[in-house]
Amino acid sequence: MSARPGSYRLTSPVWCVPVILFLAMFFIVPLAANLARTDAPQGWFFYYQKLLYDPYYAGVLWETVKVSLITTLACLVVGYPVSYFMVRHAGRWNALIVFCIVAPLLTSIIMRTFGWRVLLARKGLLNTLLMDIGLVTRPENLADDRIAVYIGLVHVLVPFMVLSITAVLQGVDVKLEESARVLGAGRSRTFLHVTLPLSIEGIATGCILVFVITNGSFLTMLLLGGSKITTLSLLIYQQFTTTEDIGFAAAMGNILILVAVLCFIVQYALLRRRNGS
Amino acid sequence: MTAWRRLFHSGSGATMLLTAYVILFLVFILLPIAAVIVVSFSSASYIAFPLPGFSVAWYAKMAANHDFTSSLTTSIELALVSACIGALLGCPAALALARSRGVGAGLLANLLLAPISVPAIVLGFSLLYFLSALSFGLSFGALLVAHSVVAIPYIVRTVLATYRAVSTNLEESASVLGASRWQVLWHVTLPMVRPGIFAGAMFAVLTSLDNLPLSFFFGTATVNTLPVVMLNYMQNNFDPSIAAISVVQMLIAVATLLVLDRVYGIERLTAA
Amino acid sequence: MTVLAPPLRLVDVSKSFGGVQVLKPLRLDMVQGEMLALLGPSGCGKTTTLRLIAGFEVPDTGSVVINGRDMTAMPPNKRGLGMVFQNYSLFPHMTVGENVAFGLRMRGASAAEKTKRVRAMLQMVRLESFEDRRISQLSGGQQQRIALARALATEPSILLLDEPLGALDKNLRERMQFELRDIQHRLGITCILVTHDQEEALTMSDRVAVMAHGEVKQVGHPTDVYERPRSRFVSEFLGTANIFTGTVKAQEGAAWRVAIDPRGCAEPLIAAETLQLGQRVTLAVRPEKLVLGPPKADAITARVRDIVFRGAYFAYELTLPNQEQPLFVYTQKREAVPDDGIVGLTWAPDSAVILEEPA
Repeated sequence: MSARPGSYRLTSPVWCVPVILFLAMFFIVPLAANLARTDAPQGWFFYYQKLLYDPYYAGVLWETVKVSLITTLACLVVGYPVSYFMVRHAGRWNALIVFCIVAPLLTSIIMRTFGWRVLLARKGLLNTLLMDIGLVTRPENLADDRIAVYIGLVHVLVPFMVLSITAVLQGVDVKLEESARVLGAGRSRTFLHVTLPLSIEGIATGCILVFVITNGSFLTMLLLGGSKITTLSLLIYQQFTTTEDIGFAAAMGNILILVAVLCFIVQYALLRRRNGS
Repeated sequence: MTAWRRLFHSGSGATMLLTAYVILFLVFILLPIAAVIVVSFSSASYIAFPLPGFSVAWYAKMAANHDFTSSLTTSIELALVSACIGALLGCPAALALARSRGVGAGLLANLLLAPISVPAIVLGFSLLYFLSALSFGLSFGALLVAHSVVAIPYIVRTVLATYRAVSTNLEESASVLGASRWQVLWHVTLPMVRPGIFAGAMFAVLTSLDNLPLSFFFGTATVNTLPVVMLNYMQNNFDPSIAAISVVQMLIAVATLLVLDRVYGIERLTAA
Repeated sequence: MTVLAPPLRLVDVSKSFGGVQVLKPLRLDMVQGEMLALLGPSGCGKTTTLRLIAGFEVPDTGSVVINGRDMTAMPPNKRGLGMVFQNYSLFPHMTVGENVAFGLRMRGASAAEKTKRVRAMLQMVRLESFEDRRISQLSGGQQQRIALARALATEPSILLLDEPLGALDKNLRERMQFELRDIQHRLGITCILVTHDQEEALTMSDRVAVMAHGEVKQVGHPTDVYERPRSRFVSEFLGTANIFTGTVKAQEGAAWRVAIDPRGCAEPLIAAETLQLGQRVTLAVRPEKLVLGPPKADAITARVRDIVFRGAYFAYELTLPNQEQPLFVYTQKREAVPDDGIVGLTWAPDSAVILEEPA
């Protein structure tokens, strides 16, 4: 057969070449170089062993996972009712709620974190109010504390959770819930057996997103934690600004990427299973 | 007001409880931002409530601070230029990938979207040492490269979604009517995906303006982005000038959004 | 003497996608000014044929010749065709006028020419005052007419219609069928209509090509194809058909006596050219050609199961003894049916068609 031209195509695969070259050069190669950078004089696994077995660094690793898990769970608990309300009850108020949730994205994280410092500081709004009511006699500095970090993280990340769940919940037909009610299930049983399972994909997406972003955050810990919380990202920042142990910082970065990749593989598998069935 | 009342009186106590909770939630979301706006107009040189008086002195002080103004300019230039580079690189690839099937196309799409998923602090750290080896580690160019890498996925994501929603029949119609490939692209495809390009570019700009973990590796004494300068200032001072510059930055973002809304409509932007 | 080349000639074009042959080698010549309908169920290859003609696909074998020029590998924009899609595909970011002018603009027509031509086209589809409207302000029927105006503005040599009326509701569709036919006659333009709607194909076309499984089963004038289908598929796809099998018993003048299965059922006369005694045949009779009467010796005995009033006619559903497949009879008047439902079915000798397939 002589070669015949294929079907009419507007675009060409060649159009992908510039971006592939750009990302290969400035994304893949640097990350690969980062992997090579952890080749310590003491051997390939030196830094990783140090991270896992040195009590201090193992503690940081554990703290990172703990902070991310608690933040994820808190975002889910705080955000799910809001998503449910937006889809089932908000009606014309929906646009306003969406605006309020998206609006913070127009402000910098520094601004939002600074806002929490203003609210939680010794002479901040919260203490002033509590003193006025008479609940507190001596003002406490609520910023620079673990709880402040969690408040700040949830504040920054809960919009992602709400938007993820809302997107999926919108696709759940209200008739399914009504059918369950007609079949005799009460409100809570309907929620547990119909609504919640059907929105599980949104929950998974939101949780993975929040978990991964928290893993990479350090600004909230830095500005609200008062050095009471040290996570891997914060440690990378500190290593870079103070000790400059490049190889060790690179190893920590690789661990963070590994966790992110694992999370997205889990998400991909969940999506595949759902589409497959 | 009637809708408001209906919201409260419709259904059971559970619904009312839920409504109250959502209102509380929105207060939680907006309160810190409102607090910063209020504090930026304080006349005191420290943060304390109640505010002793009203003043715009902190805005004046901020405007006179060369570090703030020059880094704000740098941040805006960086955000706009990196979004443009991201669009120039990402848009053609997204158009080529949108209607391709197969393993290769899927893998490539994942590669183009990957920079969002890598923690910015790790990407910034890795790029710094790589670019330093190429001897432009600390410069506007380095910042530009880093921010362009992150801009690409935002553009690709929205252009993919927008273009997949465009019926192939539109382009086929144009070609039967006599339009060459480039004419179809220029007169039909591009106008149809333009909202996607703008939406992606907007996300890229907003992300870039706030991307401290990526930026702080590349700053020099002369070239630095606003978040890095703010962080440095904040670690030594706790006064309302941070509030003032934050409000200015927020206003710039809001203005960008309003302009885009005027041009394209917010519905079409968020739909993408 | 110059012989005018046919406006379109398909020479053994075929096409496969992913190893599946969706179009078997197809030969087709069109006549200047005719409307040819490609009719068939989805997946029969009719849309692929149209896309090969338009240039969106390149055939694996064969060639597409338009007005005597081999256009097989020519891109769509150089073929000088017009096309109307089912979803109209009007450009939403342009006004009605800009849509109609698009083809002229691509050809670099002057502003004056564009204005003149757009006016003429909008007048033709009776939407003169709509030039500055947005596409989103048009109803489905109006969009359909604008799509037609846009396709015709460049004076294409052939107009391709891909289910052009598929998205309209029933009443509007019937009106548009006549309107489209009228415009086609006035312009004398050669048209190919792709449709899965047999009524639309019969109403609008000069010739119908019935397609199935990637090949053309029968081409001809709509009445010929309807009344003299050659295969069971064609007879059943174009309306309803009652299929019988039987054995040729005797010749009586220009007709043949056929013993219908099962044995002893009836032996009606069938008009046909050459049959052989003892030959097994399959025959089709249209429901409106069957005659209901009292049971008698030379009629097929059947039982009426249901009678439905369909507006223009009555539809009778009948069953033969020991047979699953029901029969259908359409009558203008409601016929008297005895209480036990047993009736006799007869037909005129030229009402039955012998199909080209063994029994």
